[in-house]
Amino acid sequence: MTAAATPISTSRPARPSRLLRNAAVAAVVVVIAWAVLSIGIPVDELSGLPSGVWGVVQRMFFRPGPDLSYLATSLEFMFQSIQIAWVGTIIGAIFSLPIGFFGAKNVSSGLVSNVIRQVLNGVRAFPELVLAVAIFIPIAGLGPVAGALAIGIHSIGTLGKLTAEVVEGIDPGPLEAARATGARSLQVMRWGVLPQVLPEIVAFWLYRFEINIRAAAVLGVVGAGGIGFLLQNTVQYTRFDKAGMAIIVVVVATIAVDSASGWLRRRIIEGSEKKAVAVEVFEAPEARKGDTSFG
Amino acid sequence: MTAAAPARARPVRPARSLFVPLAVVGFMVVSWWSLSSEFGIGFDLGELIENITRGARILYRDNPINPADRGLLNPNWAFLASTVEPMIETFQMAVIAAVVGCGLALPISFVASRVTAPGRATLFGVRGVLSVVRAIPDILYALVFVAAVGIGPLPGILALVLFNIGVVAKLMSETIDGVDPGPIEAAQASGANRTQTVRWSVLPQVLPHYVAYSLYTFELNIRASTVLGIVGAGGIGRILYREYARFNWSNVSVIIVELFVFVFVIEVVSIWLRRRLV
Repeated sequence: MTAAATPISTSRPARPSRLLRNAAVAAVVVVIAWAVLSIGIPVDELSGLPSGVWGVVQRMFFRPGPDLSYLATSLEFMFQSIQIAWVGTIIGAIFSLPIGFFGAKNVSSGLVSNVIRQVLNGVRAFPELVLAVAIFIPIAGLGPVAGALAIGIHSIGTLGKLTAEVVEGIDPGPLEAARATGARSLQVMRWGVLPQVLPEIVAFWLYRFEINIRAAAVLGVVGAGGIGFLLQNTVQYTRFDKAGMAIIVVVVATIAVDSASGWLRRRIIEGSEKKAVAVEVFEAPEARKGDTSFG
Repeated sequence: MTAAAPARARPVRPARSLFVPLAVVGFMVVSWWSLSSEFGIGFDLGELIENITRGARILYRDNPINPADRGLLNPNWAFLASTVEPMIETFQMAVIAAVVGCGLALPISFVASRVTAPGRATLFGVRGVLSVVRAIPDILYALVFVAAVGIGPLPGILALVLFNIGVVAKLMSETIDGVDPGPIEAAQASGANRTQTVRWSVLPQVLPHYVAYSLYTFELNIRASTVLGIVGAGGIGRILYREYARFNWSNVSVIIVELFVFVFVIEVVSIWLRRRLV
């Protein structure tokens, strides 16, 4: 706007100050150097590292290799981990949906949404294992229920934030339309907001389930159920053949659940193949070019 | 492809799909399987409420197992001093692992992206390995490394390095997949070889994302390294688990408050740095 008013200058514009950026880089370098120099890992520990790790990996997967007779036990405990993740995700989903709505600025009040966001930030600060050890095992006792509760609470933190962000990104048109027809606020939520956000939120639930599988696989380390118990025990008693079997089960099950859940998510977000073709008929072909997702 | 088909005045209503009812039935079956006491984890709401009311008493009143303890709601602030050192160790582990992990992940991500991979076999090979790396939880790495090299911060750092490679290589390879192909064509037209194309056309486009992902990974590390100590891999988790095992809830509560403040401060600093560097 003001460019037309100022007289034409032949000098080059001043280079913006890089002082703060350089200060940030210097601070990062100093912190890294301090951490490396003061952590105190003895050098001989580092030199024994490759042979030590290789020795364990060899015993797990090559000689003697995974103990196949341990497959049934490993599967049984892995199923329990999947169940813990599932129940935890359900707890997270049920509570995060209303919380997310209250946390969204456009459908809730400014004060309420700010308070909710801060509480969610606080909840997310604690890893599932810390929640399990410090709160849910003392309260609910050792076992899978404590694990499911720990995962559930942590999931409320992450899903609540995502839900609030999705709700804030909606098209306000349907909201206005619903209000114009005299809908009460609950009806506005049900008919103006929910249909817009549900596919994305359900996809987030599934994605959270994938992450929770990983968390549930290790909760057993502290006694909160699942295959972590086997991993901890077999490694502790140096039964690396059994540990190898359990690790293979964890990896295969995690990847299998990931692929199934990933397929479901794409199905929910993009619709079925048939519908995708039908859409293409009515939309410009360029509209679908940005799709770079892969399996 | 099908854009040439004649457009009708109104689109036909799509046939009702079986997907939603099938998904609902699937959801019910898996939930019943998970919740049942016979096949699943035995999630009983009544029992849970009973446990919570009983368990909650232990948290703020007399602790029958450890009479010296005053419960989670009465933090023992005198304990704070002895947590400083392991907390610093947690921070150092997170820093070192982020530097090493993100450093290793950068070249790997170029091999794992469709745009810059040297060949299809390498591409799918590296992606397969990465998905296995990601499927193993960090605690499990820590368990194995503790068994291999003994207790201390080193196994924790190694576990975090692998965890970081998995996260950053995935995020970066997806970012590289989405770069603007224009500069690549320009570099190739001027006779650049593969390395030169990557250096001058791809790297400048993805570097800001790389810095952002690295800082994000560092934040993840702070959270992850707080629990690695539970399996003997150094840091505050060791103290947390020790106090838990001794039923010192007043001390556990100090660590929880400390962790909360620590994670919060790190996040604020990291957000500030991201704004400065990206």
